[in-house]
Amino acid sequence: MRLEGVGKWFGSLQVLDGIDIDVKTQEILTVLGPSGCGKTTLLRIVNGLILCERGEVSFKGEVVDGPRPEMAMVFQNFGLFPWKRLDQNIAYALRIQGREKSEIDRLVSHYTELVGLGGFEANYPAQLSGGMQQRAGLARALAAQPDVLLMDEPFGALDALTRETLQEELLRINEVEPKAMIFITHSIDEALLLGDRVLVMTPRPGRIRFQFDTGFGRGRDLEEIRGGKRFQALRHYLWEAMRNPEAEPEPIPELVLE
Amino acid sequence: MATDAPAATGISTDEKAFWERIKEPAVYVRLISLVVVLGGWELMGQTGNIDPVTFSYPSAISVAFWDLIASGKMTAAAYESSQILVAGLLIAIPLGIVLGILMGRFRTFEYAVDTYVFALYATPVVALAFPIAMVLGVDFVGKTTIVVFFAIMPIIVNVYHGVRNVDLSLLEVTRSFCSTESQRWRDLIFPSVVPYLVAGLGLACGRALVGMVVAEFLMSISGLGALSQDYIADLELDKGLAPVVLLMIVGIALTKVVNICETKFSSWRVRQES
Repeated sequence: MRLEGVGKWFGSLQVLDGIDIDVKTQEILTVLGPSGCGKTTLLRIVNGLILCERGEVSFKGEVVDGPRPEMAMVFQNFGLFPWKRLDQNIAYALRIQGREKSEIDRLVSHYTELVGLGGFEANYPAQLSGGMQQRAGLARALAAQPDVLLMDEPFGALDALTRETLQEELLRINEVEPKAMIFITHSIDEALLLGDRVLVMTPRPGRIRFQFDTGFGRGRDLEEIRGGKRFQALRHYLWEAMRNPEAEPEPIPELVLE
Repeated sequence: MATDAPAATGISTDEKAFWERIKEPAVYVRLISLVVVLGGWELMGQTGNIDPVTFSYPSAISVAFWDLIASGKMTAAAYESSQILVAGLLIAIPLGIVLGILMGRFRTFEYAVDTYVFALYATPVVALAFPIAMVLGVDFVGKTTIVVFFAIMPIIVNVYHGVRNVDLSLLEVTRSFCSTESQRWRDLIFPSVVPYLVAGLGLACGRALVGMVVAEFLMSISGLGALSQDYIADLELDKGLAPVVLLMIVGIALTKVVNICETKFSSWRVRQES
């Protein structure tokens, strides 16, 4: 997946400028930025929901000019159909793709179990907690078996505890079924914990400010990372950078990179 | 359930449930209110404070009600009335749904017809009775048309708002997962219109009844409207009000039917009160 010089205007207001991003297979890229910096707009462009005026998004060498089944989005407000049961919601993408009934049943029960929602298939979204609804949102996206998962602040509407649980779950699931992921967030911790690479954006118009590899490796233990020096130093560094959006970013401290 | 009843007390669970229910304010306050109002009205009648030529009272109306049923007049009139009511609703409901959907979904269609729809919605339909009679006659076709005009407006307007108020974030979900237009209607638009439609149907049924009586009063006299008007003209108020009671019962029954449909189609809504 590649973005080259993407620029986007809403009327005369420029929201994105010169965005170049390369996402490698199975890489988790977290995009960090303050509210209103065009993160969500960027993700919608990647998904093909809206088009950019300048530049180009391409996937496996093909230009993205509309939504395609190889990408699946997990939405901030969950985006579940309130009148569909949980299993029907999870089956949604598969039904749209016109899969065989037996295949849909198999995939739905597999992903329902994988996200830990076994036993809740017959419930309607309103009967479930926010955390469980987003597990369903994740299961729906995974069931579509995309190459790229697009995560639009998926845990932003959840309480802190649920959020941490789901971060761990997401990494666990990604160990089992690795996929490339673009993960939008405004939480520094979340960006560091989940990302193989963190990309920091500036607001109005959204530009790439800097990016770096977190270097925590796969199979990471979030508890251990949180307590580690490297995480603390990177966290402090990002915090300073976010607080002074105008300042030229200092180079990442050597100590951190070891 | 019946086997769970404590045999020793000799009170069945049904009986118990009845006494439990009657303790709720919603039940006993209503009962007391009914007793006071109907009882007071009846008392006024019994003590000769109501002139039977200008008004009547509950027991007299009840007797007249059973007399009219027994003589077959009420059933004949109701059968006549129900024909225009049912025909009117059978035209108004599908037509209203189609027009509402077209208006909600296609801008061009909306701009082409919204002036008339909202103008008619704001117009008291009674005022249309005479022009309709002139064009379509005063019999079945004319009367059914009146009922259609009364009933169709809330259906069109509600369905239109339902289509319009489709959740935009869910619309984006359907787009993101590459849904086709027909799948989008099935998964998103129809289900979101249902609550609006049901609310519109409730209003439509009430208005259809009004339309039916208006048509029977203003066009060729027939049915329950005629029955009531004839007796009132003869100053037999008790018999004149009996058909009104029947209309009231039909109105309540139609509302109930719509409520039942509403519960059936919105099982996914988690009840807040329970």
